[in-house]
Amino acid sequence: MDLLNPNTLPVNDNINPYAFSVDVVKDYIVRKGKMIAYYGNLRFEALGSSIIDMIVSNSFNAPAYGGDYIVASGRGKLIVGDNGNHINSYDLENANMTIKAVNLLAYEPTLTCEECVTPGYVTLLGSGKMLASSSGMVHFMEPPVRVDPEALLGWADCPTPSFHHDYGYVRSALSLGASMLGLTSSGEEKQINFTGQGTVIIQSSEGALRGTSLLQSMISDMNQLQQSEMQTLKGLLEQRLNNR
Amino acid sequence: MARYAKINETLIQVDLNGNEDLYAKKGSMLAYTGDIQFQGAFLSGGSLREATVRQVTGEGLHLMKARGRGTVLYGHRGMMVNIISLGGERLYVESDSVLAFDQSIRPGTEFLGNQGGVGGLVRGAMAGQGLFTTTLDGNGEVVILSSGDLIELQVDQSRPIFVDPQAYVGHKGHLTTQIHTDVNWKTFVGQGSGESFQFKFTGQGTVYVQADER
Repeated sequence: MDLLNPNTLPVNDNINPYAFSVDVVKDYIVRKGKMIAYYGNLRFEALGSSIIDMIVSNSFNAPAYGGDYIVASGRGKLIVGDNGNHINSYDLENANMTIKAVNLLAYEPTLTCEECVTPGYVTLLGSGKMLASSSGMVHFMEPPVRVDPEALLGWADCPTPSFHHDYGYVRSALSLGASMLGLTSSGEEKQINFTGQGTVIIQSSEGALRGTSLLQSMISDMNQLQQSEMQTLKGLLEQRLNNR
Repeated sequence: MARYAKINETLIQVDLNGNEDLYAKKGSMLAYTGDIQFQGAFLSGGSLREATVRQVTGEGLHLMKARGRGTVLYGHRGMMVNIISLGGERLYVESDSVLAFDQSIRPGTEFLGNQGGVGGLVRGAMAGQGLFTTTLDGNGEVVILSSGDLIELQVDQSRPIFVDPQAYVGHKGHLTTQIHTDVNWKTFVGQGSGESFQFKFTGQGTVYVQADER
């Protein structure tokens, strides 16, 4: 085990598979609650809370995920981690990279983040560094390839993928019987199909990320709510649950 | 003194030569060779008073004592094992993270309120880890569990560090803990940044963190 200080910490590199050291020189966009420790003079502000917005408005263009990210500004060494999930960094150069929104951990504001046409995904455009967490290590593949939706982490410079339904499987006598009994979902009959030139990034596990950080941060914020606000929240939740 | 050897990231081997007591987390013994006796250790190498304090404060170190001649293997739920050397310093650590130590180490319990006044109290409340913490004192080695690699961060006069309460594992040295709040009026009434409270460590020493936020 090495004793780390601001001089011996890796510069924009992994400390170990689960922790990453970011050299913040000005601004950095980071997922909420993923800071483990920092040296130096850093401030954390919610997107949408202040003048920070004007600085980063060019780089964050995905309002659906606005509440998930904060801006770390100032100068210092920031260590990020994500519930013991693996962390990988990608250096993008004039790139067009799409990634599952929940896996996007941090990125430099030189990149622009936009909502992808595919729900649940965001697209990063431009040049800069980004960090993504994954359940297990990542693996790169080239099209043509079909990927399990759960294992898919993202893709770069590819045409938009399409769903491929394996009707041969559904049609087989065995699964017909099974479908009548309501046992169809092996989960393998629906895949995402990639064609053309580019790179597909998959994670080595079909599991989702460990930890539900959004829920945790919401629960921790609950203390600040007043009685009437909690009633409103309860009504909203019931409405959402009944609509399911 | 007991000799510790890491077999891999999650497994530790301890050699015992017959006249020393080794205390280890209950249920963490995986295998042993030689002639070794195990028994529950209520006192855990401390005095009756310390054991009572631990019991009352909920900082219970649930330990087994091993004595004899041979080697024992310890591990706990695939967590990583880390050997930390203490040269007369006091290590502050959560009791859940303590895997093993021998009789050269003295366990105790400290009230966090004594450590930075109100800050200590707030620390316990914010981290959800209670207001008391386990201390280990002495000259020797202790084995600490971590989820993922333990990151060892140096603190000195010119370089304080800010740590997320949920990623904090322990610290040693001459350090003062404070609660650092980053709350301005806007984040207070509006959206929080999610990083509103941090421990600030100043002084001279080492802080241990893990990448897993409990």
